[in-house]
Amino acid sequence: MPTPLPSRPSTSRALLSRRRLLSTALGAGTLAATGSLAACGGGADASALPSGSAGDLKGATIKLMVNQPHRLAFTDLLGPAFAQEFGGKLEVTAIPYDQLTSKQILDVQGGAGEFDVFDYFYFGLGDLVDAEALVDLTDWIAGDPGIGTGDFLPSIYDHYTLLDGKRYGLPFDGDTHVLYYNAEVFERYGVEPPTTWDEYDAAAAKITQDSGGSVYGAIVEGQQVPVILGCSFVNRLAGYGGSLLDGDGRPTLTSDAAVAALQHLVDVSPAALPTPLQTGFDQANGAFLSGQGAMLDTWTDLGLKAQDPASSKIVDKWGVVPLPVGGSNTEHRTALEAGFGLGVSGGSQQKEVAAAFVKWATAERQNFTLASTAGSGIDPARSSVLSSPEYAAAAGIATDAIREGLEGSPLAWPKTVGAVKLMQDLVDQLALALQGEQDAPTALAKAQETWEEEIG
Amino acid sequence: MTSPATAATAAPSPAPPGVPPQGTRGRGAGRRAVPGRRRPGHVSSWLAAPSLAGLALMLVYPTVFVVLLAVTKSSLARPLQRWTGTDNLVDAWESLAFAGSLVRSVVFAVVAALLATALGLALALLLHARGTRFGLVGTVLLLPLVTPPVMVGVAWKLMLAPVGGAFTGVFDALGFPGANPLGDGVGAFSALVVMHVWQWTPLVTLLVFAALLGVEHELREAAALDGAGPVRTFTSVVWPVVLPNVLSVLLLELVIGLKVFDLVTVVTQGGPGVSTIVTSFEIFRTGMRGSYEIGTAAAETLVFGLLVGLLTTAVTLLRARAVRAEG
Repeated sequence: MPTPLPSRPSTSRALLSRRRLLSTALGAGTLAATGSLAACGGGADASALPSGSAGDLKGATIKLMVNQPHRLAFTDLLGPAFAQEFGGKLEVTAIPYDQLTSKQILDVQGGAGEFDVFDYFYFGLGDLVDAEALVDLTDWIAGDPGIGTGDFLPSIYDHYTLLDGKRYGLPFDGDTHVLYYNAEVFERYGVEPPTTWDEYDAAAAKITQDSGGSVYGAIVEGQQVPVILGCSFVNRLAGYGGSLLDGDGRPTLTSDAAVAALQHLVDVSPAALPTPLQTGFDQANGAFLSGQGAMLDTWTDLGLKAQDPASSKIVDKWGVVPLPVGGSNTEHRTALEAGFGLGVSGGSQQKEVAAAFVKWATAERQNFTLASTAGSGIDPARSSVLSSPEYAAAAGIATDAIREGLEGSPLAWPKTVGAVKLMQDLVDQLALALQGEQDAPTALAKAQETWEEEIG
Repeated sequence: MTSPATAATAAPSPAPPGVPPQGTRGRGAGRRAVPGRRRPGHVSSWLAAPSLAGLALMLVYPTVFVVLLAVTKSSLARPLQRWTGTDNLVDAWESLAFAGSLVRSVVFAVVAALLATALGLALALLLHARGTRFGLVGTVLLLPLVTPPVMVGVAWKLMLAPVGGAFTGVFDALGFPGANPLGDGVGAFSALVVMHVWQWTPLVTLLVFAALLGVEHELREAAALDGAGPVRTFTSVVWPVVLPNVLSVLLLELVIGLKVFDLVTVVTQGGPGVSTIVTSFEIFRTGMRGSYEIGTAAAETLVFGLLVGLLTTAVTLLRARAVRAEG
């Protein structure tokens, strides 16, 4: 007689039951984990600030995350003025320019919400809004005529603050580039200030060669981040009459102007302070102010530093002209290089107060004080400041070039979601061309391909 | 005096055929032998609970998070948006610098680890030849080790600055006027290896010196009596003893080399071009600077983790073989 088999159905039922239980628990656990992990990124409340909201700045403490080169503007200028006027306090955290946007996103999405006000790059606006890191200030701005929006420079106002019909901040630092030169060196080597990029090349080569390397004819900022190498490329792109996007928002990186702009960067490298790829903001400014380099296309506030004996060896020995032109283009045009707005953090616990601070910090008096003080890193954002005789007196001989740029139609960078990635992809390819790994057309074709994949 | 529990374990009563002796049948057997008493050395598993909870919090949670990020559309602003499977992996592989960064990371770590270990071993032997105390010289040699990597990077960057750098005159004197190691790809990569080796060689020296102190003096004396010279004594007596330690140090150096980030960030920022983009820096670039593609950065992290696991396993196996050979 065969041995009876164990009751299979009951065992099977038990196993199935166990499996079901386990798989159900696992699935539920995964979903719960995904949900809870995703929830970890919350904490932002970027809902619109209503019209008429009026925060009280009296005795307020405002926490700000700011661009490193702007630190003095907040700690040494705005901070004391804020304390005197309101008895309040500014707590300033300065972040290196290449990490500013990501830190702001992380502060809000990480749930820390430590800051009230962000000093933001305008080309990071899309990413910041996508991360709910900036509060929608459309109604609040529209409802407060005291802000004086009509006074903000038309060339920067919308670019710095407007995205998809909504405003997320107020212009704080109207950044454009001009070309500074060392007048003493120019005179010594018989060189005239350039009006075209070809003349710039010739001047750079002559000075570097004739000086035996004791002075470099040009300083080219080529550090591989958008806000440095991207600016140097776009300066030339504007000069050659090109743009980053066409009227329909499609990339135009393979245009003749773009190729000429990159080729110019490559060609001038041998005559530039070694090497462009190693040259960032601080190295470039230091080399120019110490007299090591004869030309530098950079932000307009350098003139204030150049006149400060504490930081400059070229006081009264420099000059400035608008960015040169190139190719068939004869119209000088600058670009909105970097450029900053002040916005209210989506993680702030006192959004009305933060908005009131943004209004105060971007007001005419503050903008004038900052734009007229060496080392603040701030340029005019208001027409009244740019056109005032007092600012002209402070900016000196740079005034005309600065006005020409900001009152014109500067070339703007993209600022939609993913714009920072687009610019990083572009500068990666530019850097490979500067390094000699690929030629200019190839580099720009690759960048164009990447941009087309991202934005069509 | 022998405790009852020990006696019960040490001298089990004869068991009937087919029944395992007491103490070998299972965990409960010993406990039943002496009710209410625990065997010496027995520790309740529950005591490990805090450590396991800490491990789960610090290791499991981040790992699960990284895996989830790697298989979902995730940006810095919006993590875990939707399931994407292997898309992030493909994106990483097709990106400008990731595949190359894996090669650079391995080359950097292997070359730096071998150089640091060789130099550190040589220094340790020299120090040991002076005596059994580390002494002032040894302490001075440790200075790079206690210097923050960021400061090491800043100092070297200033010294190698093409204009006004401290090495400018040295390069001129050596017949290389205008030399700028950080200005080209191979030079920059090599310079980073040199900086890294400069900083981490002292760790090898310290650990190998300690291992040398463990070589019994009698062994050396016996070798000398047998007519062995310094080289033979080292290869036949000292080296077999310290080899497992040297391989442990090599493993440590390898891991440190694979993790290098600070130096790259401070000195070259991955440039010129992509010449010095190692994987840790590429992950940072992908996730935190420029693209904010956290999902792709997570996929890169997983691939890199796998690679690190393979490398360290190889060295661990080598070490195990060395230990067996010695034992």
